[in-house]
Amino acid sequence: MDMHKANRIPTAGLVLVAAMLGNALVFAQLDGSGPGRAPAPPDIAQEWRLDNNERDTFGQAPLGDYTGIPFNDAGRMRSDTTPESIWGTLEYQCRPHSSPHQWRGLGGAKILKEQDPITREVSVYHVQFMRSLDRPIFMDGRPHPPAWAPHTWTGFSTGEWIGNTLKVTTTHLKDGFLRRGSPQTTDMYAMTEFITRHDDILTIVTVIDDPIYLDQPYIHSTTYTVASGTSLTAEQCNGSFAENGGTDRHWVPHFLPGENAALTEWLVKGDPRSPVGPENWVPLEAARGGVKTIYPEYRSTLNGAVSINTLTVPALRSVVSPDTVIAAQSPRDGQVHVLPVQGNVYMLVADGTNITVSVGPEGVALVNTGGPQMSEKILATVDQLARTVVAAPATNRCFGATCPGVWGWSSPYINTIISSPSPPRSIRSIINTSAAADHAGGNEKLAKAGSGFRAGGLGGAVANVEGAPVIAHENVLNRLSAPAGKQAPTASGSWPTVTYFDEFYKLPTTFNGEGVVVYHEPAANTDGDSIVLFRRSEVISAGDIFSTVSYPVIDIARGGSVQGVIAGLNHILDLAFAEYRSQGGTWIVPGHGRLSDTADVASYRNMIVMIRDRVQDLIDKGMTLQQVKAARSSLDFDGRYGSPTGPWTTDMFIEAVYRSLQEKQ
Amino acid sequence: MRKVLLFVIAATVVVGPAAHAHHSYSATYDVSQQVTLEGKLVQFVFKNPHSFVTVQAPDQKGVMQRWSVEWSGTGQLTNQGVTRETLKPGDEVVVLGNPSRVRGEFKALMVNLKRPSDGFTWGGRTGEAVD
Repeated sequence: MDMHKANRIPTAGLVLVAAMLGNALVFAQLDGSGPGRAPAPPDIAQEWRLDNNERDTFGQAPLGDYTGIPFNDAGRMRSDTTPESIWGTLEYQCRPHSSPHQWRGLGGAKILKEQDPITREVSVYHVQFMRSLDRPIFMDGRPHPPAWAPHTWTGFSTGEWIGNTLKVTTTHLKDGFLRRGSPQTTDMYAMTEFITRHDDILTIVTVIDDPIYLDQPYIHSTTYTVASGTSLTAEQCNGSFAENGGTDRHWVPHFLPGENAALTEWLVKGDPRSPVGPENWVPLEAARGGVKTIYPEYRSTLNGAVSINTLTVPALRSVVSPDTVIAAQSPRDGQVHVLPVQGNVYMLVADGTNITVSVGPEGVALVNTGGPQMSEKILATVDQLARTVVAAPATNRCFGATCPGVWGWSSPYINTIISSPSPPRSIRSIINTSAAADHAGGNEKLAKAGSGFRAGGLGGAVANVEGAPVIAHENVLNRLSAPAGKQAPTASGSWPTVTYFDEFYKLPTTFNGEGVVVYHEPAANTDGDSIVLFRRSEVISAGDIFSTVSYPVIDIARGGSVQGVIAGLNHILDLAFAEYRSQGGTWIVPGHGRLSDTADVASYRNMIVMIRDRVQDLIDKGMTLQQVKAARSSLDFDGRYGSPTGPWTTDMFIEAVYRSLQEKQ
Repeated sequence: MRKVLLFVIAATVVVGPAAHAHHSYSATYDVSQQVTLEGKLVQFVFKNPHSFVTVQAPDQKGVMQRWSVEWSGTGQLTNQGVTRETLKPGDEVVVLGNPSRVRGEFKALMVNLKRPSDGFTWGGRTGEAVD
């Protein structure tokens, strides 16, 4: 083996670290700072041309090349089983490059800036690439959004100048890939960039910290040179059909563990489309990535003097705790947090459970009511929200004869009206997506606080009735109540009062100016699940079919199945639209976790399909439940969605998948 | 998972120029294998970053399938004389492509396309490789 070439792998990290340290030393001397004078950061706002010429910057990164990536087993398994064909699915075909790779994508970059017209300080930088979204970097000191806010392809970035280096911190990123050829990330990674300008050269050192797939942050650097006056192509994407062929629009391409036989092709045969030949000088161990292979100490294993198993390397652990960041999306803090969504709709995060709220002139509609312990706080929050949205006191906008309208004149009387608007209308309807206690537990108190409509019959007046109707699939009523003579699990005041049995139920009239449709999702988490579509606001309340903090809770005994959950997720994807570049558009409120869009639901669906197919494969091979559990077929997703303890463990999920598939047979 | 065995032909590999694709072709397709699709074109989407041709053609079992064939972006095709009007639904075509690496996926990377009715061909001439 060519030792010179082999040595390049571990030294790459050292070069980057040296570059970063060098930057720190340089900006300490050259930033123009001095007593009483603020440093003057360089101007980075212009067109830039990518200057790297490495494998992942010219488009044909080979399958299975994980060199330099400190992957753990989960990251490696996910990358081995996720094919590039995933780009062809309806929900992903217009996604831009993932942020870890975006600087190394093609087409150059343009950096723009927004300046405060008075102070001339830069408030926002905008970074644009050929096939991406405008990426703002906020320089105005604003905080990052709460953990239950949506994730995007470009994330949420804030910047600060440290000498002549712009440090950019990015959170709220969707899952994606580290570079082409399929090394994957979860959606829990954070990214820190150090952008430094030296004359006409821009150096970007990128630190990707994915606590679930990486044993330590993955670092790479990219170099750009000034390309003033060039016109950056903004390439549109008009994907509109699945590019994977076949007739299954829900097709999820993936490899079963061990099935992807091409991972080492680039080492043995080379890539026929690339000028780079076989790279058999790269040790297989290094090709598969791993923290021990990226340090200089790894060289000592190449001649057999030291075993990699006994090799020790500096520990540079992730600063992100996965359990903490996942739990933060759904905080069990006894509080109610409000997140505006779209149109009439808001999302309440009530002690770890999401409630969808429609607020408008006709009143309030709730999808789910949270746990019973939260009812008072939910009522107070909904009341405050309704007053703010519908009946907020406002200042007098005119006075005297300048006031238009019937009065034609301002007066203290009008001011009195303004300062004391009529109260908002109350809770008009409640919809339950399931009988789960954390979603229907507040039915009784919240329904009592509301009031429904009652038609007065022929010639009669429409009037309010006490208590808001509770709408749900009839199997929710069956779960919450009991046959005559038997003890019901819940008080009758919490039972649905309007049940449906069909494929869907439409609210009888529009509400707050939009149609509201409740769809039954058969045999999903249970036999009584629904999702709710707000047709004008473009929001879907998904209930427990979708969660960003756990595997789906599938209650086989109550009629649930993994196939039903997948069908429900596919139904959501059929109803929803992306706005642009495979994100935004229809917002989906999960039962638990952060606000999401089609790409997030697709990612969750893909995960469940992959696990289902893996378990099915093991069943086909004759494995028992215990053997399937021992096979750890969900290893690559357990750190993100699984749990070894608590009310819904990974083992329980795998057992539910197994039993769903057994019952199918 | 759908199961289909592609009828593959040992390929004479054509080394193309360094590509500038959105994703990695060699990671997506097995460029050492080829599949021939003979049938009716049912859709031609001339777009970026890649155009797509959908062909109804049988698999090895003779079952008619919808094959999605990935082609070049609009810029490259335009330079080679291909426009959005070049192919029409209903055209009978013969496509040679590299199959997907994913088992059961009816997807291929365009190597060449022939339309016998008028002799139109793409692929094989200088520059006519998906980039």
